[in-house]
Amino acid sequence: MVNLIAALNISEVAVIGLLVASLQFATLLYLAALGETIAEKSGVLNLGVEGMMAVGAVVGYIAAVSTGSPWIGLLVGGLAGAAAAGVHAVIAVVLGADQVVSGLALTILGLGLANFIGDGYTDDPRRSLFVDLDLPGLSDIPWVGEVVFSATPVTYLAVGLGVATWFALNRTSLGLGLRAVGESASTADAAGHGVTAMRIGAVLIGGLFAGFSGAYLTTTGIVGAWSEGLTAGRGWIAVALVIFGAWRSGRAALGALLFGFTLALRNRLQPFGVEFSPILLSMLPYLLTVLVLIGISIKARHQPSPAPAGLGTPYRREER
Amino acid sequence: MKRAVLRRREQPLRGGQPLAFVLGLLFALLVGAVLLAVAGDPVLETYTRMWDRSFGSAASLSSTFNRAVPLALAGLAVSIAATMGLWNIGAEGQILFGATAATLVGRIGADWPSPVLIVAMLLGAALGGALWALGPGLARAEIGVSEIITTLMLNEVALRLIRYLENGPWKDPDGFGFPQITAKPDGAGLGVLWERTHIGGLIALAVIFGFAWLVNRSVWGYELRLAGASPKTAAYAGVSLRRKVLGVMVLSGAVAGLAGGIELTGTAARLNESISNGYGFAGIVVAALALMRPSGVAVVAVLFGAIQVGGFSIQSLGVSAAVSNILQALILLGAIGAAVLSTHRVVLVDRKVVA
Repeated sequence: MVNLIAALNISEVAVIGLLVASLQFATLLYLAALGETIAEKSGVLNLGVEGMMAVGAVVGYIAAVSTGSPWIGLLVGGLAGAAAAGVHAVIAVVLGADQVVSGLALTILGLGLANFIGDGYTDDPRRSLFVDLDLPGLSDIPWVGEVVFSATPVTYLAVGLGVATWFALNRTSLGLGLRAVGESASTADAAGHGVTAMRIGAVLIGGLFAGFSGAYLTTTGIVGAWSEGLTAGRGWIAVALVIFGAWRSGRAALGALLFGFTLALRNRLQPFGVEFSPILLSMLPYLLTVLVLIGISIKARHQPSPAPAGLGTPYRREER
Repeated sequence: MKRAVLRRREQPLRGGQPLAFVLGLLFALLVGAVLLAVAGDPVLETYTRMWDRSFGSAASLSSTFNRAVPLALAGLAVSIAATMGLWNIGAEGQILFGATAATLVGRIGADWPSPVLIVAMLLGAALGGALWALGPGLARAEIGVSEIITTLMLNEVALRLIRYLENGPWKDPDGFGFPQITAKPDGAGLGVLWERTHIGGLIALAVIFGFAWLVNRSVWGYELRLAGASPKTAAYAGVSLRRKVLGVMVLSGAVAGLAGGIELTGTAARLNESISNGYGFAGIVVAALALMRPSGVAVVAVLFGAIQVGGFSIQSLGVSAAVSNILQALILLGAIGAAVLSTHRVVLVDRKVVA
């Protein structure tokens, strides 16, 4: 590979820059997609990801620059995302209103709230950013080390959360209960699982992760500051990633890398001698999402859907 | 130990839905007031200003009506898709591409007689919107791809297409290097009815009545209602669900695209990426509040037009214009929450009782 790059007369810096940016965008997408996977596994579709992400981004930014700690920014941004998710938990889970309508309203509310809260912080020059954490030994590996083992701690955290989510969903009784609730709420209820409590918990965790994702935007070099329209539809790509990942945390990670790469391509192709409008190139992730969804549907045409059977169906125990 | 559960009422509350709407509005104003107070903004002054600038004078009313036009059409677009249980989240992109198509027509026919040019631009806009919804419609009808995400993704694509045209192919030669698209032709201005109210409102009303007629009086509409209410029965009666899904999506896109055309000819000087202005998303809220009924869409659209016009006016008080988006979302959340209570009662039961 190194020879090939030398032969093509491409700068090593450009390649590494592209790959590093890909991993950054992948982290962003993965955090949000992981949270949405958990919510959907419990049977609750939350289309409010974009809104929760925006709230996490602005609140995380403010917390980070006022305390000087990006860690506090990440944590507070996550909690703000969870608080926003609480709206969906009340309307769609407790009251059992239509999940699509409630989620869309949450996206509009979240974007509005983020702009309202961030009104005085646009163009704020203050920064409070995570620094890259070199993993001892590993970061010295040529190429791989620079790209994979010299990322911000949030990327490692995302990987850790991915593994933890896989373990919790597949290897613990709580995870089994959560999946049971998502498949058939009435059966799970009869088996003694607290459907409402489980779903509220899953929605709040989904919001927490979406909030992390948003705060990651404003506390790392990927953007590092707040401005309106910052999330730019990436929360929606995360929703699509859940489908791409077939509701599995591992496969969603692969999707996040793929889409992370396409998001990073913009402004990073010129060093490769490719003269293509960066604006047209920035359409790619969104077009690719559409094409991938179509591809998945064609492939899975004659198979049972991997979606949780109870996804989108509100549950109210009909008591006598 | 007691706990609260929701129990279905034998009869939904009479007038429960309009009541839910009013409760949603009150809820939004209340939460909005708390938010404003927390942010240190003047609550009463903000709300009074919003009212004055949206309903307070002839000029304000005129702005409100103009603003209601794209909202009503976007809301109608969403409710058209909903007749087949579909969610068109892409009205935003269809409005943008509709306006782009209308601009293309305007560039071709800049020297046509004004009425011809305007009609051609509006038709072009509807066609553009239909085209933008065609892909998601086909994907949904033929292979069952969820239209929610595909329509939404195309919003981002339409936005970037305009950004591209602005910076390159359609860049204004007289724009002093500023990335903007050449202004629309002189003859492309929609006629004015009263104050600044343009005839877009009449067009929107005609489209709303036209759709209501289509649904209630035509064979196509009868089949549509059948397919929406009971897909199995409809399929048994020989109605092609695939064609209905595709037809509904394309029609929905055309109506949203028309909104883009009206914005361009009615209020905008040129095509730019903010011509859709969030109307597509607000249209979802409008349609949901109108319970997907065309007649309700018009009424809710006027209210939302007022909130949006009012939202701009409070910026001079130093209050963020985002308040208007927050209020819109809160009205919907409040209303759908309250609607549950019109069909369900809260009852206290013993904790031990398990159904």
